[in-house]
Amino acid sequence: MRRHEVVVVGAGLAGQRAALAAVEAGRDVAVVSKLHPLRSHSGAAQGGINAAVGAEDSVDTHIYDTVKGSDYLGDQDAIEFFCREAGPTVVEMEHFGTIFSRSPDGSLARRPFGGAGFPRTIYAADRTGLALLQAIWERLGTESSRFTLYQEWDLTRVVVRDGAVQGIVAFDRATGAFEGIAAPSVVLATGPSGRIYARTTNAHSCTGDGVAAAYEAGALLKDMEFVQFHPTALPDSGILITEGARGEGGILKNSLGERFMARYAPHVLDLASRDVVSRAIATEVAEGRGFPGGFAHLELMHLGREKIESRLQEICDFSRHFAGIDPVTEPIPVYPAQHYMMGGIGTNATGATSVRGLFAAGEAACVSIHGANRLGGNSLLETLVFGKQAGIAAAEHAARSSTRPEIAAADVDASQGPIRAMMARKDGEDPAALRAEMQATMERYVGIYRTEADLLEGIRRVRALRQRYENVRIVDRSSVYNLNLTDALEVGHMLELAEVIVVGAYARTESRGAHSRTDYPKRDDAHWMKHTLARRSDRGPELSYSPVAYTRWEPKERVY
Amino acid sequence: MAAKTISAPIEVYRYDPSRDRAPRYDRFTLEVEPHTPVLTALLSIRNQQDPSLTLRYSCRSAICGSCAMQINSKSRLACQTPIGPEIERHGRLVVEPMRNQAVLRDLVVDQSSFWQNYRKIEPYLKLDPRQPMPEGTPNPMTPAEVDRFHETPRCIACAACYSACPAVESDPAFPGPMALAKLYRFVVDPRDRATQDRLVRIQTEGLWLCLRCHLCTEACPKDVQPSERIRDLKELAIAAQGGTERGSRHAIGFKENIRERGLLQEMKLVRQTDGLAGLAGQLGQGLRIWRKKPETTKRPPAIEDLAQVETLYRELDDPTEGHR
Repeated sequence: MRRHEVVVVGAGLAGQRAALAAVEAGRDVAVVSKLHPLRSHSGAAQGGINAAVGAEDSVDTHIYDTVKGSDYLGDQDAIEFFCREAGPTVVEMEHFGTIFSRSPDGSLARRPFGGAGFPRTIYAADRTGLALLQAIWERLGTESSRFTLYQEWDLTRVVVRDGAVQGIVAFDRATGAFEGIAAPSVVLATGPSGRIYARTTNAHSCTGDGVAAAYEAGALLKDMEFVQFHPTALPDSGILITEGARGEGGILKNSLGERFMARYAPHVLDLASRDVVSRAIATEVAEGRGFPGGFAHLELMHLGREKIESRLQEICDFSRHFAGIDPVTEPIPVYPAQHYMMGGIGTNATGATSVRGLFAAGEAACVSIHGANRLGGNSLLETLVFGKQAGIAAAEHAARSSTRPEIAAADVDASQGPIRAMMARKDGEDPAALRAEMQATMERYVGIYRTEADLLEGIRRVRALRQRYENVRIVDRSSVYNLNLTDALEVGHMLELAEVIVVGAYARTESRGAHSRTDYPKRDDAHWMKHTLARRSDRGPELSYSPVAYTRWEPKERVY
Repeated sequence: MAAKTISAPIEVYRYDPSRDRAPRYDRFTLEVEPHTPVLTALLSIRNQQDPSLTLRYSCRSAICGSCAMQINSKSRLACQTPIGPEIERHGRLVVEPMRNQAVLRDLVVDQSSFWQNYRKIEPYLKLDPRQPMPEGTPNPMTPAEVDRFHETPRCIACAACYSACPAVESDPAFPGPMALAKLYRFVVDPRDRATQDRLVRIQTEGLWLCLRCHLCTEACPKDVQPSERIRDLKELAIAAQGGTERGSRHAIGFKENIRERGLLQEMKLVRQTDGLAGLAGQLGQGLRIWRKKPETTKRPPAIEDLAQVETLYRELDDPTEGHR
């Protein structure tokens, strides 16, 4: 058994920022990640990071935009803290070495983003996530003697005894060895779980491992039914075309050549909130005004070659390589794809979960600041602001902790035993086939528009898949980089979360933010201005609800 | 957007050192569209034919750097390489693990030397307490200063350049193209306070081992142009140290040599690079050459059009003079 004071699982921006905070607090830190830190999905974030730093902008406007964007489901106290931390966070990242794009006067350049009252999205061309990820990894690397990196280790469980975290069980892909890593504090920063859906902008590695492990360990998941669909992804691959493309002046058109956003968001058009634009594209296509194959067009041509190739360099490459399209001369075909989970492991603003010693941050967590719909540019900021808070809180908890956590052999065996059984099967379910069926089910029955009948069918199908998963089989017997084993574990994690998403969506009989029920088209503040909480039981998720925190902003109808 | 499909034969390197005595190539056949990326094909093999096929992959959009491999003997990202043109050009599609790194299984290689070289160039801002950063505000940086980074911020550490590099293969002391491009990124950073020290140190830590073959620039999927940045580093290094280090003496000698006669004067270059002692050290080699080809050890006469060489040099020294 290995032993540390703080174990951080996941090494994207949130995990690394948490690790840095815990290292700076003097704790012995372990960073466990199934990818090399520089390969984390944070690096795929394109558009930018929000901070109201200009003299004309204000933190209050950022708070208001975020509250409104959340469709009044975000906790306003947390949002206030979040927006106040934005400026210092961006400055810190600049001091760590991030190469941001600049204005002629030498200040940080800013671009307009959806749902924002002011151009406050600071960026590094259209690879802001990569720029931040490089900077934080290079900064954390200067502390390399003060933390242990478990690179390409897969998390299998969080061990909790008598209500307190004992550590984790994980296995080393290179050797196949399962090991316990004991620690009084565990920070889960495992990022997205978008691979639950067939069409997603997320990387293949985004399988919700930490969220599922927290759920299985008894932690409460929050607001899981709120799934963001990004309006502009390449239709075949789901590869993201940044909102920055519209921020720089790109416009959406249907097959009649209409700038259709005028019908859905008369004031801000293409820069409405993501849920609004995604529904607009889906509606245009559903009503027969899409292009053959089912998509809309994103036009950049009028911006000119120079602007497109300098500010949207990666987008140019993506379009040329992955869609065979040159955005300088022709429109980019786009359709919404799953992009972000507003829900996650329920935490407060310090990253603490409902389990003692367990913390979470980043997309894996739900504070909640995004509520029912996240604004572009707020997720990179979230990873850094709350990653740091979770790291500080985890370090403090570890320093105060007087008990000695233990991972027993039985805990390791509880992870390894089922794997042995999956490998021993002569016949059984193929993880890749189960995954494909789950993805198709979620896409079809729990997508942008939802109805009671569809959601009931979704519940039935997800539960049937979970039954079949009991008999999953791993055909690869090697102990070295056994990805078939990883596949099997990941599908198990995703099926857990799929059930929570669909059950929560079925229960919520209103439309709010990204959760759009055609049978309940209005927001219903009287009954549903509350967070969904899900606790795992043998019968499925047990739902309860908790109030939304208010400070200054009264709910209003949301018009863009 | 359905295009006509082609039947693509794919040969994939397979090796599990824990179980196999030797590597082998497995042949799979897939119906794909010509623009289908190699990664998509490999994943469909995993999902439909052989789940034990092992490779690193994640974002499938050329930003995570996981899926670099040898595709028809070139270091490429599998997610960014369409199958059709490969089959058209080579008549086959052979997929193998990256070079210059030991195979762990199938297409997965041990990247520890690559990461160590990256770490060795100290890739972080080095500060000077006498020149602290501005408190509470970002450092000012002009767009022109940002342009000095060239494309180095686009590097995704995929190691395609490291795999393609013959200097990495021949000399473990060479840090590799990615590490040097990364060093360049810190050398030109106006916030870094260790520029001089970095430039002096790298001269004895591998800079001059680059063979200038440009294979890294050709391999780079993000247009970082490591080869050009290594060239820039050499120029900056000579300027930083007045050309006293061996590698820079060689470069300067080479330049003077050509300017003087229009062609290389080998004996003189050895003396310029390694001094008289160096020349003495090469005496045995010199004698052997003298016996076989005595003309090469003599001082060569200048070429006829030396004036043209001089014009070229002037234009290179002062680009405004010519039309470069």
